[in-house]
Amino acid sequence: MENILNTDIRAVIDQCPEVGRILEEYGIGCAPCSVGSCLVSDVVGIHGLDPQTEATLMYKIEKVVYPDRDVPEPKVDLSKIVPKEINYSPAVKNLVDEHVLIKRLLALIPTITDFVEKSETVDKDLVMSCIDFIRGYADKFHHMKEEDILFKYVDEQSEIIKIMYEDHVTGRNHVKNVVEGAENGNKAQIKEHLHGYRDLLTQHIKKEDEILYPWIERQMSDQQIGELFQRCSAADASVGEELPKKYEKFIIELEEKFAKEN
Amino acid sequence: MSDCCPGSKTMDFSEKDEQGDDETGARQSQLKQWPIQLHLVSPQAPYFQEKDILLAADCVPFTLADFHKDHLKGKSLAIGCPKLDSDQEVYVDKIAALIDDSKINTLTVMIMQVPCCMGLSQIAKSGAEKATRKIPVKQVVVGVEGGKVLSEEWL
Ligand SMILES: [Fe+2]
Ligand SMILES: [Fe+2]
Repeated sequence: MENILNTDIRAVIDQCPEVGRILEEYGIGCAPCSVGSCLVSDVVGIHGLDPQTEATLMYKIEKVVYPDRDVPEPKVDLSKIVPKEINYSPAVKNLVDEHVLIKRLLALIPTITDFVEKSETVDKDLVMSCIDFIRGYADKFHHMKEEDILFKYVDEQSEIIKIMYEDHVTGRNHVKNVVEGAENGNKAQIKEHLHGYRDLLTQHIKKEDEILYPWIERQMSDQQIGELFQRCSAADASVGEELPKKYEKFIIELEEKFAKEN
Repeated sequence: MSDCCPGSKTMDFSEKDEQGDDETGARQSQLKQWPIQLHLVSPQAPYFQEKDILLAADCVPFTLADFHKDHLKGKSLAIGCPKLDSDQEVYVDKIAALIDDSKINTLTVMIMQVPCCMGLSQIAKSGAEKATRKIPVKQVVVGVEGGKVLSEEWL
């Protein structure tokens, strides 16, 4: 473990479980994560700690990994540090922007399920319009670009990609259950699975934005970044520019509807 | 030129601690084309077709010891100086032609960390905006002292 910064976090924790405990102290839950393929530098970098905290954390980690080394206490000039923003290539930036629209639906879900619960009969059109957004935009338009294009640039057998695929499948199961609930007028089933979808996608999107996408991009050459951009643009062109516009309009109208209700 | 402009300010790093004196062995040039100066190249040249293009400010290669290995390798090159070169509108048109006619894959603009060098990034951006095709454009900023890449970002 010559340069600890360039080592997989799993390897570091396996060799030195104390590191997992230190990370936990800082709210970084790497110890229970089954993936562990993030580099230590990224685990620390990606979690967006302030510079002083980050330096102290690195100091503590180095201290336990190399107890014999004379590790200097961190000195950070806070005035020189600018907060780090993740810089995505244009194709991946578009995926991150698509997450923003999906998160706007997720934010409305508690209001929608409250409304469904309080109404006499289930407003099937309302529930099915949300399902249409999830299927047409989140799944078909967005997840398909991930599965058919982006994920192909890395080892699809890697743990982190397998987890992403599993999340997509779990999401589709929630959708199936919501549809069933809407058809049978089962309010509890609708609520359970819309909330399940919300919790799942909230975590899923956070993992993608902060860990998965940067991890994938780090492994890509400029040639691949250019190719990815052309392939995603072609995928967008194949569905037409009307489709994302239609779904954005849907979200705006839904937000307006519930702003009025409240 | 005034001494307060970082672009032309006199600096001497020769007293700096030397490292990497071991220069044994010969490395291969990664340059696969001629010409390279942006006024001299034709944007339709065969060596630009569908390639990843590096647009480097004139000073950049002298600053980075491993310019060939780390930055030029696998790319086609154009160079220019946004401070001293004339007719820079031609540069903007040439960038647009590279994108539209030669269907280049990506454009990386490498500049020095001096304010006037930002002009080259501006040329790259204007050319990319003028083109009808869209491609990823990356900016790499190189430090004047120490020959290090300071930042690398997709624009
Ligand atoms: Fe996903
Ligand atoms: Fe996603």
